[in-house]
Amino acid sequence: MNIINDVKNRFEHAVVETYTQNDGKEGMLIKKESLVDVCGFLYKSGFDHLSMISGMDYVEWMEVVYHVWSYTRKENVVLKVKLDRSMPVVDSVVSVWSGADWMERETYDLIGITFENHPDLRRILLPEGWIGHPLRKDYDLTVDQYVIIGEDGSDVVTTDASKLLRKEVLHDRN
Amino acid sequence: MTETEEFTLNVGPVHPSTHGVLRFVLRMDGETIKDTEMVLGQLHRGLEKIAESRSYLQFVPYTDRLDYISGMTNNYAYTKAVEDLAGITVPRRGEYLRVLVMELGRIVNHMLFTGTLFLDLAASTPIMYCFRDRHNILELFESLSGARITFNYIRPGGVRGDIPEGFIDKTRALLKELPSRIDEYAELLNDNEIIKMRLKGIGMLNPKDAINYGVTGPMLRGSGVSHDIRKDDPYSVYDELDFKVCTRSECDTYARYIIRMDEMRESLHIAEQALDAIERLQGPVSTSYFPRIFKPARGESYSRIEAPKGELGFYIVSDGSEHPYRVKIRSPSFCNLMALPQMVKGLKISDLVAVFGIVDICLGDVDR
Repeated sequence: MNIINDVKNRFEHAVVETYTQNDGKEGMLIKKESLVDVCGFLYKSGFDHLSMISGMDYVEWMEVVYHVWSYTRKENVVLKVKLDRSMPVVDSVVSVWSGADWMERETYDLIGITFENHPDLRRILLPEGWIGHPLRKDYDLTVDQYVIIGEDGSDVVTTDASKLLRKEVLHDRN
Repeated sequence: MTETEEFTLNVGPVHPSTHGVLRFVLRMDGETIKDTEMVLGQLHRGLEKIAESRSYLQFVPYTDRLDYISGMTNNYAYTKAVEDLAGITVPRRGEYLRVLVMELGRIVNHMLFTGTLFLDLAASTPIMYCFRDRHNILELFESLSGARITFNYIRPGGVRGDIPEGFIDKTRALLKELPSRIDEYAELLNDNEIIKMRLKGIGMLNPKDAINYGVTGPMLRGSGVSHDIRKDDPYSVYDELDFKVCTRSECDTYARYIIRMDEMRESLHIAEQALDAIERLQGPVSTSYFPRIFKPARGESYSRIEAPKGELGFYIVSDGSEHPYRVKIRSPSFCNLMALPQMVKGLKISDLVAVFGIVDICLGDVDR
């Protein structure tokens, strides 16, 4: 019945540890190499709804958290993978749940985790060319970034406020 | 079939039927949509980053600005995650009051949905009817919270304050009146020949795709999947209440519109039961003590609720300080919008407006 035991039996070395969230949802930390295999197994076991993907920055390491729900079994399960902060790369799960597409793009955009084999990994909420990933703990909030219209009419991100049409924005803040 | 040269058509970001600031880049073959790309982020305010520098209580008003049409459910989803994190329980009377305002909020959302959908389809009467009735519910919310849109009413530990004098009678009178109003919409719209022609048989999304794309809420139930978090993963006091899950199996936009109509009636039924309970139960609506400097222990929680637009989730991680370490928002509009290119592929440009209207998104919720 318990899906975590099923995963443990099926993939002997994939599960690093199991834990329980404060709200009682059970989760497991798995090795990032076996992520796609475990997700495929979950999908086949009835966990067909990927509720959310969250990227976490713990300063020393990074994590990606997957909250999954099963419409047939009516159960929750949480997956976590730990990533090296200097090179946060993990396999994409779009092949398992199509809904992961935009969620992974958002995680890439805001926290800078790269998803390998993602069909179209681009920024989604912030404009292309934005400097840094805002949800990282070391993101510099003191630097203002502006979107201006470039010479060919496209959007250009700049930190140079002198080219703004509304210069009083800068004036008011100082 | 004759084919014309493909061209790119830009719709938005400022366009009356995008309900905010959303930009479509359509690849067109004549009037037929071949491919849709969406450009998001014009309303991105970085709420998740803001949360990291606010205290747990200070973040509640920000959640009102997520899906600014149904602030009550946003307040609750965040509040529930905080309560799960710290193990706070709320008096039952408070929970019933929360359910009452959330269900009235769902009716407000669906009224606005009905009005704007038909406004997009060039019928200007429904929005007048819907705003007339929405106003009455907002009056009730105003008497509770002092605000009509940004309530900040449901907060960790309970709600902002007990009901004012005369609230029960006013609400009961309104609940008595609303069914006839909803019947009025149904009479005006459901069997309207033009509306049927515009909505039936377009925007198809089969159950398998709907689940796989992570589509939730009325959109999912319109694809024949009978799933409602209030029923299947109950929170608050929903397991004590009697209501039906409205499902239709046609998979088209008309089915998804009818579901919203049915859900309004179900919400009225729930609201009535909640109102009875509030009248019957005695006692406070909030926990007696909620610390001013609130520092939950290390841990994490994920709460998901059935918001009017679909599944709304908050993932909160605490590091033991008075600020949340991380708040991640799973917004229903963002995930439902992802399925739109699939739904409009091969349709005419005028159908885009109808299908997009039926997804019922709020750009504050998409961009966060």
